[in-house]
Order: sequence, then C-alpha cells, then structure tokens
Amino acid sequence: MIETLDVVWRHRIFYLFVLPFAVLTILFGLWPILLSIQVSFTASATALRPNPTYVGFANYLVVLSDPAFLASLTKTFLYTALSVVANLAFALGVAVLLDSALLTRGNLFFRLAIFLPVVTPDVAGYVVWRWLFDRSFGAINAMLEMIGAPAFAGLTSARTAMASLLIAELWHHAGFYMIIFLANLSMRDKALEEAAHVDGATAWQRWRYVILPQLKPALIINTVYALIQFLKTFTVVVVMTKGGPNEATNFVSYYAYQLFDQGRYGEATAMATILFAIVILISLTFYRIADREVAA
Amino acid sequence: MSIARGDNRALQIAAYALAGTISLAFLYPYWWMLVSAFRATKAIMAAPIRLWPETLDFSIFAEIAQIGGVPLWRYIANSFAITGLSTVLGVTITALGAYALTRMPKLPGFATLRTVFLVAIMYPYMLLVIPVYLVMYKLGLLGSYAGIILFLALGPIQFFLFEQFFRKIPAEVIEAAIIDGASEAQILFRVILPMAAPVTATVALITFLLNWAQWFPIMVISKTPDTYTLPVALLAMNTELGANFQGIMALAVITTLPVAVLFLLAQKRVMEGMAAGAVKG
Amino acid sequence: MAILRTLLGAAAMAVAGTLPLQAQQLTVWHDLGDNGIKWFEAMSAEFAKSKPGVTVKSLSFPTDQWFGRVIGALNTDTAPDLIYNNYERVIRIQDQTGKVSDMKDVLAKVTDKGFLGEDDIKVATYKGKQIIIPIQRVQMGFGVRKSWLDKVGEKFPETWDDAKRVANKFRDSDPDGNGKADTFGFGLQAAKPRDLIHMLDLFLFGSGIRNTLIDPAGTIMVDEPAHAAVLEEFLKTYTSYKFVAPDTINHSFPEMYQGIEGGRAGMFRVGDWNVKKWDGEKVLGGDFLVGPWPKMPGAAQNYVVIGGMRGVGVPENAPNKALAQEFAAFMLSKAAQQASLENVGAAVRKDLDVAALSPRSQYFAKAEARLIAYDFPESIHTFYPELEAAYHKKLMSGIANPPADWKPFITETAKEMRDLAAKLKAK
Repeated sequence: MIETLDVVWRHRIFYLFVLPFAVLTILFGLWPILLSIQVSFTASATALRPNPTYVGFANYLVVLSDPAFLASLTKTFLYTALSVVANLAFALGVAVLLDSALLTRGNLFFRLAIFLPVVTPDVAGYVVWRWLFDRSFGAINAMLEMIGAPAFAGLTSARTAMASLLIAELWHHAGFYMIIFLANLSMRDKALEEAAHVDGATAWQRWRYVILPQLKPALIINTVYALIQFLKTFTVVVVMTKGGPNEATNFVSYYAYQLFDQGRYGEATAMATILFAIVILISLTFYRIADREVAA
Repeated sequence: MSIARGDNRALQIAAYALAGTISLAFLYPYWWMLVSAFRATKAIMAAPIRLWPETLDFSIFAEIAQIGGVPLWRYIANSFAITGLSTVLGVTITALGAYALTRMPKLPGFATLRTVFLVAIMYPYMLLVIPVYLVMYKLGLLGSYAGIILFLALGPIQFFLFEQFFRKIPAEVIEAAIIDGASEAQILFRVILPMAAPVTATVALITFLLNWAQWFPIMVISKTPDTYTLPVALLAMNTELGANFQGIMALAVITTLPVAVLFLLAQKRVMEGMAAGAVKG
Repeated sequence: MAILRTLLGAAAMAVAGTLPLQAQQLTVWHDLGDNGIKWFEAMSAEFAKSKPGVTVKSLSFPTDQWFGRVIGALNTDTAPDLIYNNYERVIRIQDQTGKVSDMKDVLAKVTDKGFLGEDDIKVATYKGKQIIIPIQRVQMGFGVRKSWLDKVGEKFPETWDDAKRVANKFRDSDPDGNGKADTFGFGLQAAKPRDLIHMLDLFLFGSGIRNTLIDPAGTIMVDEPAHAAVLEEFLKTYTSYKFVAPDTINHSFPEMYQGIEGGRAGMFRVGDWNVKKWDGEKVLGGDFLVGPWPKMPGAAQNYVVIGGMRGVGVPENAPNKALAQEFAAFMLSKAAQQASLENVGAAVRKDLDVAALSPRSQYFAKAEARLIAYDFPESIHTFYPELEAAYHKKLMSGIANPPADWKPFITETAKEMRDLAAKLKAK
C-alpha cells in the first residue's frame, strides 16, 4: 500500500498529465454507464428521485417478455448483418477498383467523392436521402418514372424501408471502410503477385490466393467497426423513419430512446444494458479472433 | 502492374465508367441539396429533379434567418464555438492523457483507466447520452456550453491516433533527454510535443469534423435552442405545423458547407488520419 | 500550466453557463412553431404593461421532443415556468411525472371567465386536478381544394358518397392540370398512434358518433354497427379505395402537411391553426373550402369537431411559480386572447374582434358551424393511452396487410380490445 503510494508520488507528474482525461472519462463515460445500469433496476416512476424504489430484474423481465422488443432485436441483428456485408463488399470492391492501375488519372476525385459523405454531418445527409426516397416528391421515384421503371416504395413499405436506410447509411459510412481497405492494399507485397503472374496464375487466382489473404487485417478491423456501428444504428432512424412503417425499422437503440422519452426510464435503460452486453460480447469475440489471427 | 501491361483499353473504359457512376451517385445528394435550397418548395414538389433551379430564389435565407425563435447566426456561431472549443480542449486533454498512459502503462490505475475508456466508447452512444442528461443535471451543467463542450472533448479515434504516435517514439529519444537532465515536464514540452505537431494537427482536424456533425448530445444537454448547433436546428425544423422543405435544404447546405470545404482543403491528412486511427482500434 | 488553465477555463464556463439569466423572466415551452413564438411575444409585451420588467420567453420544440424534454425537466427539477399544449398531452406529462400543479385556485381568482363552459373545465381536469387553464379551443373541419372541385365539376361534398366520388375524380381526372397522375383524394396520416386514431376520431365524431374506441362506461365500441361501418370505410380509404398516397402508412404530421401544401391531396383536415398559413400566398393561397366532415351512411347529421383544448399548465417545480400562475391567468384576458386568435387562429373567448380575419378563419372564430366535442377518454380511463396504442398497432397491421373482408378483422379487433381493456383495468 505504502509502496504503491510511493510509486504514485514519484510519478505524480504523469498523474497530473492524465488527470483531465481521467476526470472526463469517469464523469462522461463511467458514471453515465453505471447510472444507466442503476436506473435499470429501479421503478421508472421513482427512477429520478433521490430514493428510488429498486425492483430487481423486473425491468429486464418486462423487456425480455415484450414481443415488440424481441422483434426489434431480431430486426436490429438482421439489419446489422445485411449492412456489414453490404458495406464491406461495396467498400472492398471500390477499393480494389481504385487501387488498380486502370484508374491512374482522376483517382483522387473518385476517392474524395466516396469519402466526402463520411465527414458530412449525418443529419444533413439523411435529411436529403429522406426526400430523395419520398414516394410522391422524391427524385429517385421521379427518375424511375422517367425511365419507365416501377416505383420504389422506399421508406413507405415495411419491405423496402430497411433497404432504404441501408442505402443511406452505406452512402455515409462506406468511404470510411474503403480507405482502410485502400491503406491495406497499398501496404501489400506486390512482388508476390508478380511471382504468381510469372507462375501463370489467372487474375482471379492472384486476387483470391495472393491479394485477399493479405487484406485480412483490414477485413477484421472493418468488420468490428461495422458491427459496432450498425448495431447502434440510430440517427438514420430518427431522421428518416422514426421506427416505421409499422415498426419495420424500430431498432433497439431507437426503441429504447422512445421509451426513455415517455419517461419509462427503467425499461429504457434495461434495453440499453442488454444492447451494451451484446456489443461488448461481439467486440470481444472479434478482438480475440483478431488476436489469434495476428499471432498465427 | 500486370493488368495495365495488357493495355486493355476496353477494361480501362469500363473501370472509368464504373468509378465515375459510383462517384456521381455519391455526389448527387449534394447537388440535389444545393439545387433544392434555391427552389421554392412548390417547385420542388412539382418537379423533383432538375439539374439547375428555374430561378435562383434567395428569399429562403431571409425566411430561415430565425428558426424556432433563435437567429440563424446564433446556430452558426454555436457550431463554430462548440466545435472549436471542444476540439482545442479535446486535443489537449487527449494528448496529455494518451502520452501518460503510453509512456507509463504500468503505473497503478493506468491500465484500468484505459480499459474504462475502451469500454465507455463501446457503449451504444445514443444510450450513453441519455444518462448524461442526469450527470449534467447533477453537475449543474445542464443547458450550459461548458457541459456540451466537455462532453464532446473525448473520442476514440483521437485517443488511438495519439496512442499510436506516442508508442512509436523511440525509447532512445526519451533516454537521451533524461541523460541530459531534463525533467518529465521538459521532456513532454520540449521533446515530445514538437515531434507531435503533425499528429496533433491531424487529430484536431478530425475532431473538428466529427464534432461538427454531433447533434444528439447537444440536443440532450441543451435546455433551450439557444445552445443548439446547426445539425440540431436542422432536426428541429420538422414541426407539427408542416415542414419547410426549401428551408430544410438551405439549412442542410449551411450545415454541410464548412466541413466539406475544410475536408477538401485537408483531404490527405483527414483520410490518412482516419485510416490510421481506425487501424489502431 | 496548460492543464490548470484549461480546467479553470472550464470551471469558469460552467459557472457562467448555469447562473440564472434573470429572475423576472418566465419561460414557456410549446410546440406551436413561429406563430406561437410571435403570440407569446405579443402577450409578453402586453403583460409587461402591468408587470414592468417581466419578460416571457417562449421556446418551440417539435412535438415529440417537447414530450421528452418536459418529462425529463419535470423529473429532474429543471422545469420551465409554464408548459403549453393540448390537454391530452399534458395528461401524459402528469402521468409520467405527477408534477403538473393544480390550477383550480388560480382560475377561481379570475373574474372574467363566463365564456368557459362546464365541458371546458371538465376537459382540463384529470384525476381531480385541474392541470391546465383552457386557452384555445381546437376546432377541426374538413377542407377541400376549391379549384380542384371546379375543375372536376363538383361541389363541397356533404355525404361520404359525395366524398368518395370526388376522391375518385381527384385521383383520376388530373385536378391540378399538370398532366401527371400524381394527385390523391385525401391527405391523411397513420404512422404514430395519435396520427391514425386522430384521423379516425374525425371521421367518427364528424358523423355524430360520440366515441372512438371505448365509451365512458368502459364498453368497447369498435364493432358496434354504426361504428363498425365507419371504421370499415375508414380502413378502405387507406387501402382498397386507393384514395391516399401509398406511403400514407408512414406519414405523420409533417408528411401529411407536405402532401396538402404540396398540392397532392384534395381533401384534408383543416385545424383552426392551419388557416393562417394556408391563406398565405406561399402555401395554398386560400384555395380551399372549409366545412363539416362528410356525413357517413346512417348518420343523422354532420359536424365540425372540437378536438379538445389547448391550455397552459404550471409545473410544481417551476422556478417562478407565483408569477407563472399570474401569467397563466392573464392568458384569458381579452388582449391575450385577441393575440391568440390573430397569431394562432384559436381562442376561448367569444367577444373578440374577428372582422380582420379571412372568411375561412372567421368560420372557426365565430364557431358558426355545427360543433361536436371529443369525449376525452384519457381523462376518464387511466389505461386509455395503452389501449389506444394497441388499437393503433392492430389497425396498422390491417392496413399493412389488408384482409379481403374487413368484417372479421373488425370483430377480431373488438375482441382483442375487450381482452386488453379487462387486463388493463385489473392492473
């Protein structure tokens, strides 16, 4: 104990350096999380009072036996899976295209065009997409009409609403995954491809057996990022669908937020804790896989 | 590369066509936003697609000079002030914190702090923000600029970029300084920070871009629209009394323009920085 | 040093940011947009005549944000001085917080209040507490685009059969003459529970049926014959009749207004507060007629619907509670009411000057139509919001996947509602 204090005192300057960072992390990271977990064990009506009534796991039971929550969770998983695959496939495809020697001139323009949405405020971007998709006044349907294609239901039908959000989110996020693939591609060992070429490997074989294995780091990083990103999908729902139509896009984070807004704090924070546990579990699993891959 | 040597003209044209189509599809929403900002709501509804406004209708900027009882300039000023100050504060605090944590990872409590930080950034952000309302209330910071700025100061990419940079500093550099009799403060301010100027610039740039887009924490911590930034004002424009279509697009342009320009000016640093910060994570 | 300066700076900012602005400023939160802000500015100026130095600052939030904010603020003692909204929304606030104060004594002190009827007071009362002072009666009529009627050779529809004929023509005969089949009979909404049920309320009450889902005695009315007939027509309006835009299922207020103001919908709800904007050149330019709701088959009479009451409440934990109560009482004065009529298009007083208003505004201001009032189930049955949410969900699932025959669907719905009501009552 005294030894520890002594160590701390001798390195006090480092504690001073880290102090503001620690204060902010505790105040705005740890505290709200603990508070949220605490509230999840209280009765909503008393949650914000000085002496809340604790109800054990009652809120969790209510949430887990609520079919709407389970449906919301299923939708969240489905949307996450589709989004991760779509974003990574698109980003990888574009990265390979932009990395190829076919596109030497104008390469920067393409990169900028695809990356610009990443730094565009998401609210502004989604507000535009919301109107592009509009059934009556939207540009997308106007274009489809022009070429005589059937109308796209967009945000108005349960079947297409999720796809519409996916497209808007892909527009916003894919550039980020693209640059990570591009960074990885630029670091790869090109001599291996030359060797494979000399050995008579086809373009596909070179890609599949020489390039793709080298992209593993980017694939893992992007998968983890995308999983966490899309499990937490929120802003696009707020701006474009408010969970509709007919609950089709009522993902967990939006559902929890709605409950919170109605003053159902206990259930809302119980949902938050459940989602948190899922995110942590998935992230840790992937970090472990990643560690093993790196070790191997 | 081998494919180019094949001199396959057709393949090259196809590649350009594909990349061009994708790029234009990604840029089209911006063009539509810009064109719609200058077209009357009625005209947009009558004909959603136009390459160019039929007349340049600037009247909208007078109409949105006041949104929700707050002048537009105030939202703009808030955006710059909140984003700017949170960036300065965030870069300073994160640089010092990341430096201490990477330089002395074995000090008591340091590993725990790093873990707490990593866990906090994994918490579903919008659900973290909700209890933050209670934290701000308990700290007496609800509705204050200070509360908003302090909350926005920390972020994962910023931390990872600094951590990654400090880890790569060769131990000899610091050992040499110690042999020269420099104090830890001197090592930091005379040796490390000058070396860290480029990464600091990158982190500042990225923090600015990310914080400019923030809306949810600002909405939650604010008590009145007086502390709203542009994205929050944009979201608040949909009232039950009907949406002002042209106004929303005009405000979207105002919200997007500053960061789009900043990004285009510093694109290399931003893209490389974001990739580097992510790769570490 | 840099750290110290940063921290000191942050501390200074924190102090500066939390100091109360001015003791004599009242804050009111509403959702009436810019017109509401202008109204409160006008009242603030008028109020300052008798209370020098007092200013009233009003903030308008989108309705869904208004809820979350008010609930959060009342629960954490960061409440505004006054909250302003429809009575049923204030009831929800009271349910979630229990912190809306009783205004009985405040109103008792007001002498000039003969214009408030017993019904008005009843609406404003919830579980024995008077949670708002009624300030604006909410009237909602049926609106039709005048030029469209002329184009298709029709008159203002009186009966539902008229309305259906007109709706078909509005959809098929290009009433706006733009050469495109892009118009619809009705501009309605459905997305959120209040959206769809609110539309249904209007169809039902407009034909003289006095409740939407449950009567005051607690009987579920959904499959009662006259009721079921209207419900079926209502559901068909959203589905097989193809009278509304196909995306209506996802429409809430902003989208509904977009369809009306964008000239896609020919028949729609007109609230007293809408008229001012729609008389304006930028929107409809006054190109619409207002009247009572179409008379459903079997109905004896049709009506303009009084959809409740907007009023002002004072939280228990309002920072300047006494002054806030004074201002709330002042909102019934003639000057404040005149400002209300001119800015928002509604009031409760009957002695106001309406000469300057447009014919459509006068229609509401003079209350010259046959009027019928809502039944306000939420002030009788505490479980009503939950029941209504389930009803909405059920109707939405029907609209999303329309059955070939609505009758079994309606019977099934009624049964589900009965079961749920019994369950909720037992709680």
